[in-house]
Order: sequence, then C-alpha cells, then structure tokens
Amino acid sequence: MMVLEGLEVKGEEGSNMEIDIKEKNDNELTCIVEDVDVSFINAIRRICTVEVSTMAIDTVSIFKNDSTLFDEVLAHRLGLVPLKTDLEAFVLPSECDCEDECPSCSVSLVLKEKGPRVVYSGDLVSAHEAVTPVYDSIPLLKLKEGEEVELEAIAKLGTGLEHAKWQPTTACAYKYYPLITIDDSCEECMKCVNECPRNVLEYDESENKIIIADIENCSACKTCMNNCEQSAINVDAVENKFIFKIETDGSLSPEEVLKNACDILNNKSEKIVAFCKEGAKK
Amino acid sequence: MIPVRCISCGKVISAFFDEYKKRVEDGENPKEVLDDLGINKYCCRRMLITHVEAW
Ligand code: SF4
Ligand code: SF4
Ligand SMILES: [Zn+2]
Ligand SMILES: [Zn+2]
Repeated sequence: MMVLEGLEVKGEEGSNMEIDIKEKNDNELTCIVEDVDVSFINAIRRICTVEVSTMAIDTVSIFKNDSTLFDEVLAHRLGLVPLKTDLEAFVLPSECDCEDECPSCSVSLVLKEKGPRVVYSGDLVSAHEAVTPVYDSIPLLKLKEGEEVELEAIAKLGTGLEHAKWQPTTACAYKYYPLITIDDSCEECMKCVNECPRNVLEYDESENKIIIADIENCSACKTCMNNCEQSAINVDAVENKFIFKIETDGSLSPEEVLKNACDILNNKSEKIVAFCKEGAKK
Repeated sequence: MIPVRCISCGKVISAFFDEYKKRVEDGENPKEVLDDLGINKYCCRRMLITHVEAW
C-alpha cells in the first residue's frame, strides 16, 4: 500500500482483496468483494453515500409562480432533480475563494414557462452545458391557461452529510455472501424448496437431492431452516466475502462514486500517516 | 403531482411516471411495465402503483 511507504509493516503487506463484477449497467453496479473485512467495506459504503459530492439545486429565486404549488414545494422538487456532475470542473462552496457565488462553485439554471402545460425538468435552461438534469421527463409543476412561472435556481456541489439531495447513491449496500449446507439427514421432503421466497433451492431428480441453484440471490432469511423438520439445512455466511451493490441517481456513474470514495479514504489515511511520521521525528 | 423520488430509497421514479401511466392506460400489465422500465425495488414500485394524480 502506497500510504505506508517508509513505515514498517508487520505481517502481510496490503491485502489480497479481489473484486469481481457480477452485473453492470449505466447507474447500477453489483460486485463480489473477497478478502476484506466489515469495517473496510462499510467505510467505503458510508463514504459513497454521504461524502462523495454531487451537484444539486440549492437556492431558488422565484420571480413568478402562478401554479397551485407553493414556492417552497416547487423549490424542494427542484432540489431533488439530479444533475450531471463533473467533479473536476467545480469546487465545494466552502473551498471556493469567492464571497458568495462564482462560476467555479455554482451554476445557474433558469425556468420560464407559460401555461397551459406541464413543466418538466428538461425545460430548465442551464448556463453550463455539462450541468443538465439527468432526466428530462421529471414533472415539476402544472400550469393552467394564462398561468406563468419564472425562476432562477443556483446549483452547487455538496455532500450527503448536509442534505440527501447531494447523495450520489440511492441504494448502496452490501450483504454477506451466503453459505448454505445440507447434510445427510435430509429426507427430500421439499419443504425448504417450496418455502424459499427467492427460489434459491431446487430439487434435482436424477440425483435425488436438494441443490443450491442460485446462491447469490439468497437473502439469508432462514425460512428454509425454520421449515426443515430434520434440521438438515443450515444458512450461514462466508467469512470476509460480500456482495456489494451500488446504484446512483445518475449524477455520477457507480465507478466514479467508488473511485472518489477511495480517494477520500486515501486522503484521510494519508493524514494519519503524516501525523505519525511527524510524531516520530519529535 | 408524483413525488420526484422514491421516498424510501431516493430513486428518481417520477421520470418514468408519464410513460408508466400511458402504457397502463393502453392496457399493458403494470408488472410488466415496471419490469421493463427497470423499477425493480418494491419501495419504488409502490410509488408508481399507488399514486393518485389529484390535480
Ligand atoms: S426441508 Fe430439510 S429435510 Fe426437507 S428437503 Fe429441505 S433440507 Fe431436506
Ligand atoms: S435463507 Fe431464505 S432466501 Fe436463502 S435459501 Fe433459505 S429460504 Fe431461501
Ligand atoms: Zn465560488
Ligand atoms: Zn425505492
């Protein structure tokens, strides 16, 4: 491990961590992570949800709103619209040199529409070509004949620590890799097969035994165990092996979120290493 | 108006509401439409199934 350069490391250097991608599309990534412990994978999960920053609308100046929605409700809906985020192009407002707002920490989005129509997120006109809503089809408000809306929204970088609208992830979780064992006392009564809510178990007719058909789908609910009169089936977890799923709101890709989470963790550990080295010198 | 996101997990379900509504009105099975739109978690599915557009 790079951060430990120059320090004496007892035992194995680094870990044998292995990652296998199981499923992947635009906003979702499921992988199997081996040879890590709970504290490490949980640190990554928590940083992914609340410390990786994204863009979201933070303040809204409403000049005109004739719709039936209250200004506060409209501003809240705008805040929840995910925006495509380029983390290289912007800095957090707290780290920006400016007093209030400037192009390196904020982007303005303008909305000006006349009824009758439904106004969608795609109607927002952004001042920055890269910062646009992830989806154009989010209904924001409805205008009747003669009604108008006119507003300016300011989007800024932020983290989930402050507000959930700045969380890049929606579902971000891991589960233990399940381990199911069936011993010789099994009488092939089929109870476990029929009771499993996730169709993990199957009966193999040619071999006359219960087989585990889809282990990764098992939720470790233990329904099979509780229904087995012979106590033949046991559900446990593989040690230090996890199924990690990360789903984002589209503002960043799952890979970007993971990479940034690792950078944040790295920076934190580097600070500790620097502190230890300083301390050793004195 | 439909909430912008699923109130449990935060997925942006409102972006699919117009399509969901139209396809269900055209006679498609809601289950198949939801599967097709990639709305897989039950928290998100109930957002669309139970929504009543009041105004
Ligand atoms: S319920 Fe128990 S005895 Fe019956 S098939 Fe399953 S493991 Fe075997
Ligand atoms: S623990 Fe639950 S999901 Fe897993 S095999 Fe048993 S019944 Fe099925
Ligand atoms: Zn600034
Ligand atoms: Zn949900």
